[in-house]
Amino acid sequence: MSKADQPYIDPSEIPLEGSAAERFKNRSDAFWSGIRDATGAPAMVLFAGMVGFGAMGRTNGVDGWFTTLSSLLMFALPGQVVLMEMVVTGSSVLTIALAVTLTSTRFVTMTVTLFPQLHEKDRNRNLYASVHLLAMTAWAVSMKEFSSIEAKHRLSYFVGLGLLCWLISVPGTILGYFLAGFVPAPVTLGLVFINPLFFLLTFTEVKPWINRSAIGLGCVLAPAFTIMDRDSSLLTTGLVAGTIAYLIDRKWIRKRAGLIG
Amino acid sequence: MMNASLEGWGLWLALAGACLGTYVCRAIGVMLSGRINQDSEIFRLLSAITYAMVAALTVRLILFPIGLMATVPAWIRILICVLSIGVMVSKPTKRLVPALLTGTLLMVGYGIVR
Repeated sequence: MSKADQPYIDPSEIPLEGSAAERFKNRSDAFWSGIRDATGAPAMVLFAGMVGFGAMGRTNGVDGWFTTLSSLLMFALPGQVVLMEMVVTGSSVLTIALAVTLTSTRFVTMTVTLFPQLHEKDRNRNLYASVHLLAMTAWAVSMKEFSSIEAKHRLSYFVGLGLLCWLISVPGTILGYFLAGFVPAPVTLGLVFINPLFFLLTFTEVKPWINRSAIGLGCVLAPAFTIMDRDSSLLTTGLVAGTIAYLIDRKWIRKRAGLIG
Repeated sequence: MMNASLEGWGLWLALAGACLGTYVCRAIGVMLSGRINQDSEIFRLLSAITYAMVAALTVRLILFPIGLMATVPAWIRILICVLSIGVMVSKPTKRLVPALLTGTLLMVGYGIVR
C-alpha cells in the first residue's frame, strides 16, 4: 500500500504498471477483496475528509440535506468544498457550476487511464453507472492493484472498493454535521480544519513542474483575486494561474529535460 | 459575509449544477476511454487549472476563512500549517496521516487553551 497511501488530486501523478496474474477465484471473491481494501488507510483519510466537510456545512449554517446530498451525488471532495465555499459566500449559480465542473475535469483523465484496463466484455453501458464510484481514493488503489489482478476480475474489485468508499462518505458527512453541533467548539475547530490541511499536504506530493508552478501561482494570485472580486475568484485564479503555468511549461520547462519531474 | 449566502432555489440549483457538471466529466471519461492519450495537451492544461483552483481554494480557506475558523488568528493558522508540512516532509516516505493528525490536534489544542 506504500504509494496508494498517498493522496493525489491529479491522476497523471501515478504511473501505469505491468501485466496480470491469477489472484481471485471468481467475481464475488474479487468484489469482497475490493470491499476489504476499502477499509485501509486511504479510505480512512477520505472518511476524515467527509467528516470535516459535514462539520464545515454545519458551522457555516448550510442545510443538512444539501451537505449530505452533495456527498451522495457528487462524491468529489475538492468539488464539494468549492461548492460549499461559494454557496456560503453567495457566488452566482453559473459561476459555482463552472468552477465545480472545472475541478471535476480530473475525472476524465482518471476514467481514461483506468477503464481501458477492464476486460473487453465489461466495457459496456453499465460503466456509466459504475463510473460514479470513481474518485481519487478508489482510482489510486485500483491503478496500483489492477496490475496484479486478471482483467476479468478487475471490474468486480473496483466496484467493491468504490462502493464502500462511496457508502462511507454519506455517514461520514452526517457524522461531521452532527458532531459539529454537539462537541465542544475546539473539536469543531479541528474538524473544520481537516480539509484545508489535507489539500495543503497533498501539494507536497505533486511532482510535475507544470502542476507545481500552477499551485505556486494559484497561492500567490488567490489573495489578489479574492480581494478584487470574491465571487468569481476561484474560477479566475484557477484559469489564469493554470493557463500561465501551462504556457510556462510549454515554452520553457519542457525543453530542459532535467527539470521534468 | 453570512448574509450573502445562497438561499432557497439558488442553493438547490447550485447543487444540481455541481452534480451534473461532475457526472458529465465522469461520463465523458467513459466515452473517451481507450480513444485518447492521457498525456495530450488538453489534459495538461486542465490538470494545471485544477491544481491552481484547489491551491486558491486552500489559500482562501486558510487565509480568508469564514465562520468559526475566522475566530482563530491568522498567524496561528499559518503556524499550524507550517508545522504539519514539517511532519509531512520529515521522512522520505511522506507521512500523510501523522501530519493530518498533528495539524488537527494542534488546532483542537489551540481551541482549548485560548
